[in-house]
Amino acid sequence: MSEIASLRPLAAVLVSAVAIPLIVASHRRPNLREGWTMLAALAKVAIVASMVPGVLAGDVYVTDMGTFVAGVGFVLRADALGMLFGALASALWVITSLYSVGYMRGLDEHGQTRYFASFAASLATAIGVAFAANLVTLFIFYELLTVATYPLVAHDETAEARAAGRKYLAYTFGGGVAVLTGTVLVFWLTGTTAFTPGGIVALAEADPAIARLAFALLAAGFGVKAALMPLHSWLPDAMVAPTPVSGLLHAVAVVKSGVFGIARVALDVFGPETMRELGVGLPLAAVAAFTLLTASVIALRKDNLKRRLAYSTVSQLSYIVLGLGVLSGNAIVGGLLHIPAHAFMKLTLFFCAGAVHVETHTDDISNMAGIGRRMPLTMVAFAVASAGMAGIPLLAGFVSKWYILIGSVQSGQAVFAVALLVSGMLNIAYFWPVVYQAFFESPGDHDEKPLVESVLGGRFGPGGSEAVAADGSGDVRPDGGSGGADPLGHTDHAHHGGPPPGGWEERGWRGGESTWFMLGPILASASGAVALGVAPAVFVFLRIVRTVAENVGVIG
Amino acid sequence: MTDAIVLAVVFPILAAVASLLAGLRWDRSGWYVAALAAVVELGLAVSILLSVLQGGRTAYELGGFVPPAGIELVADGLSAPVLVLVATVSLAVLAYARRAGPRGNAFYTVYLLLVAGLAGVILTGDIFNMYVFLEITGLAAYALVASGDDVRSAVAALKYLLLGTIGASLFLLGAGYAYVATGTLNMVDLAARFAEVGYTSRPVLASFGLIVTGLLVKVALFPVHSWQPDAYATAPDSVSAYISALVSTVSAYVVAGSVLAVTQSELKRMLAYSSVSQFGMIVAAFALLSPTAAVGGVVHLLGHAVIKGGLFAAAGVVARQTGARTVEEYAGLASRRPVSAGLVAVLALALVGVPPAVGFVGKWYIVLGAIESGAPVVAAVILASTLLTLAYVARVIERMYFADVPAVEAGGERAAVAADGGESTAADTGVGEESPVSPAMIAVVVLAAFAAVALGFAGTAIQSLLEPTLQGVFGT
Amino acid sequence: MSAVVDVLLTRYNYVAVVVLVAAGLYLVIGDRNLVKKVIGMNLFQTGIFLFFITTAVVEGGHPPVIEEGVETYVSPLPHVLILTAIVVGVSLTAVALTLVVRIYSEYGTLRADLIAEMETDD
Repeated sequence: MSEIASLRPLAAVLVSAVAIPLIVASHRRPNLREGWTMLAALAKVAIVASMVPGVLAGDVYVTDMGTFVAGVGFVLRADALGMLFGALASALWVITSLYSVGYMRGLDEHGQTRYFASFAASLATAIGVAFAANLVTLFIFYELLTVATYPLVAHDETAEARAAGRKYLAYTFGGGVAVLTGTVLVFWLTGTTAFTPGGIVALAEADPAIARLAFALLAAGFGVKAALMPLHSWLPDAMVAPTPVSGLLHAVAVVKSGVFGIARVALDVFGPETMRELGVGLPLAAVAAFTLLTASVIALRKDNLKRRLAYSTVSQLSYIVLGLGVLSGNAIVGGLLHIPAHAFMKLTLFFCAGAVHVETHTDDISNMAGIGRRMPLTMVAFAVASAGMAGIPLLAGFVSKWYILIGSVQSGQAVFAVALLVSGMLNIAYFWPVVYQAFFESPGDHDEKPLVESVLGGRFGPGGSEAVAADGSGDVRPDGGSGGADPLGHTDHAHHGGPPPGGWEERGWRGGESTWFMLGPILASASGAVALGVAPAVFVFLRIVRTVAENVGVIG
Repeated sequence: MTDAIVLAVVFPILAAVASLLAGLRWDRSGWYVAALAAVVELGLAVSILLSVLQGGRTAYELGGFVPPAGIELVADGLSAPVLVLVATVSLAVLAYARRAGPRGNAFYTVYLLLVAGLAGVILTGDIFNMYVFLEITGLAAYALVASGDDVRSAVAALKYLLLGTIGASLFLLGAGYAYVATGTLNMVDLAARFAEVGYTSRPVLASFGLIVTGLLVKVALFPVHSWQPDAYATAPDSVSAYISALVSTVSAYVVAGSVLAVTQSELKRMLAYSSVSQFGMIVAAFALLSPTAAVGGVVHLLGHAVIKGGLFAAAGVVARQTGARTVEEYAGLASRRPVSAGLVAVLALALVGVPPAVGFVGKWYIVLGAIESGAPVVAAVILASTLLTLAYVARVIERMYFADVPAVEAGGERAAVAADGGESTAADTGVGEESPVSPAMIAVVVLAAFAAVALGFAGTAIQSLLEPTLQGVFGT
Repeated sequence: MSAVVDVLLTRYNYVAVVVLVAAGLYLVIGDRNLVKKVIGMNLFQTGIFLFFITTAVVEGGHPPVIEEGVETYVSPLPHVLILTAIVVGVSLTAVALTLVVRIYSEYGTLRADLIAEMETDD
């Protein structure tokens, strides 16, 4: 493993930062503005991709920008783990940018310049998070990421969006304070915060009580963005943001930065060995297992599609954390692999939800019966991605879950394997109805959905009156997310979601259902999810993950 | 370069007189004299800093009398950078005041007196002399606060004057006790004699308590902070920016100095616990008696001056552009004045301590120092204060970016915003009749925002600068 | 009782200091009249000046002006310092009174509570 002094990690961060002024400057010419975004996205992918072969060969690209505070450098370092997140985020940014263009223009959204500028800023900081070489640098970009994404969360400028933005800031800055405290503790204990594969050696000999405290603070701080329960509640609220933002939050950058932070802490700060000695892996895994089960159950009862997806994210992220907490080689590989796997699948799901929203202004699952006729390609992609979520073989989710399962059984913690399997079933339970009714039901003829429409634990009466009320007027639900009374000037639309009178019209299978700006990204990320599942060994992510695990020393 | 030290104090006073005299002959000469003086002052400050960098602590004996009997002016690793900061901000505020500020020659005369007072407070090595300079600073500040057009500024100035005088008098009383206890007023001497007399002797404790209380009144620390909001709110914008950034800063610098001189006492830790404000944080940093935290304190001191000064200047710019002065009125500012709003946002976030801005660096050192010296409660308080700061800062940012433009101003701009994603069509730096904002004013704010971020990367430089001074104090 | 008398007789200047400072502080805080507040500020300062001068006392000392046949002088330093402090105090009073005049011409009253009322009415 050799270190190569290179400006490429810095360039990868800066390329989208440079795009921000260009985007702002060309706010009067939308085509040019989006051109900058695309240019920056492609350049970023190219820069990151150019480092992949070297990283796989064991090289590390380092940009050292001097000392930031005493004893801590401001250093960017593209190693295998950073490359996993960096490659993922930059690749998905291209797709998301394309989709954003389709989405924002499709809805004629306001504040598009701010939107694209913030998006570019988010990506710059996300890459910074990926390539940060020590906890302080990581913290810098982590906080900046919060700042950069805040305008996206509060984009709608409604009272609800502002509240969500406030909550987002409060939660993530609160987490940031915890991370900072943990960082200071680590620095105090060891005199360094530099990431070392396998853990900082001095930490193993440090006072175990303080080391545990530091770990707890760091895990809790990053856990806020990773939406570990009970710190998850900002995530569903943030669903008021435009759908591509949800994609960014869930798949590309934000929650992944939290999970990535935990991965860094677990693998490169403490290291599996020290974690085992301190006994902090088990509590982490337990929290993750609790989260993934509870969130799946909550998801069952969400009628708003985006909210259901949000809880699905909460649960899926915990797979990753669980993999890291189990502390066995295969589980760590599985957990890390689940980062890209979940990203591709969840991005697909959100894109589909967004496409449905743009085309039909439907947000609630109960209004989607028969929508497969209107948007066949979209719903097929949705079906594929949800199958992947549930862990059906030949899809991305299966491979990563398989590794986690094996890992947890190998390390004698079969209880977590059971939790995984149960959660897989719950996944099917909350995704299948969406897919089923989209293709096999019609607005006029569909079954009741007792879990959604009845009171929890209530009697399953013969077609409760709520079910009737819900039909066709789903937008009045109190938890309706961004659905319902849309304040953005959509009042001119004849209806507020749900099928038009006379049922969904039939659109062909050749893309008549939406613009290719949106269909293209959907299909691209869906095929990514399939490719990861069919041939994981060929795909670059598994190789990167294996390199990470080898560096850490958990697999041979 | 020892002459530069005395010139740094004397020159502004002479310039103040010159400004007054020139004002008799020419109507609009004040600004030019003041600007020239500020440039010279900055040059002197930089040369002092350079000589400190090369030769370490430099002292100048006034009139050739050798301390402890004589009075000396001292430049060291702590005072030299603060002096540079003062000179820089003085110049920046002048650039700002060119368009925004009161135009009369009297204003610039008093302003130069204030600069002289501040330079004196920073450089003096004698505790009584410090009282005199504090009062010169105070007098000038009262006059500047009163120079607002609104009569309320006179009331605020009187309030400021009464409390400021009480504070300074308490300081003088403390100096008296110190003299009784040790027979000297020279600071270096005091530190040595205190050690001989013993820190637990009553006159020493009384002296310490009085000096700290007196200065805290000036720093506007809770619960003696009542004058400050009034004074800031009613004074002209240029003055608010200057006073908030410097006067309080210099006083805190003094607290720092005295705590450094009179080491070790539980009282100080108590002080640290009692306050969550920014100055509380700086005081806490010095009270921790840890070199690391002291570095953090100085960094935060510099950073806070830049950030707060910048924020006040930005508020002035916004007020002149749109008339908005309350948080409510900031609603929708981003779409009307994107540049101003962006600057306010950057400065506000720097205040919260979002890295890599300077607010974060100071906090990092202070928290690290607190944990090192076994005071986790201080660390926790400081970290918690981050969230408190965020609470009020986020409100402003949210209103600027995500609230509707108030109905009065909505008119045409609203339509322009809705038309397409473009954020604004309003010319931001418009220098029309109705928005008298000069490019220099914007430049000052931009500079402050830039410095707030850039200083974040200067943490280690400041640390190496402070090393000799701190070594002397902490004996490490 | 005798202790109190003792203090009053031997340490009377300290007693005067305490009385002056306390009365001055009370006036500044407690009185509503702005001019009286300024007077209180002066009293407060005067008390402190007196304290400083007291520290200069040398048993049997003469005023610090060189004379024939005098061996012991009181310490000259506090006198010099307080001379400066008095100048500072005078200028403070001048500024304060200027402000009071301005306030009076605007509000037509010197009572702080009435002024505060008028300010909130604005």
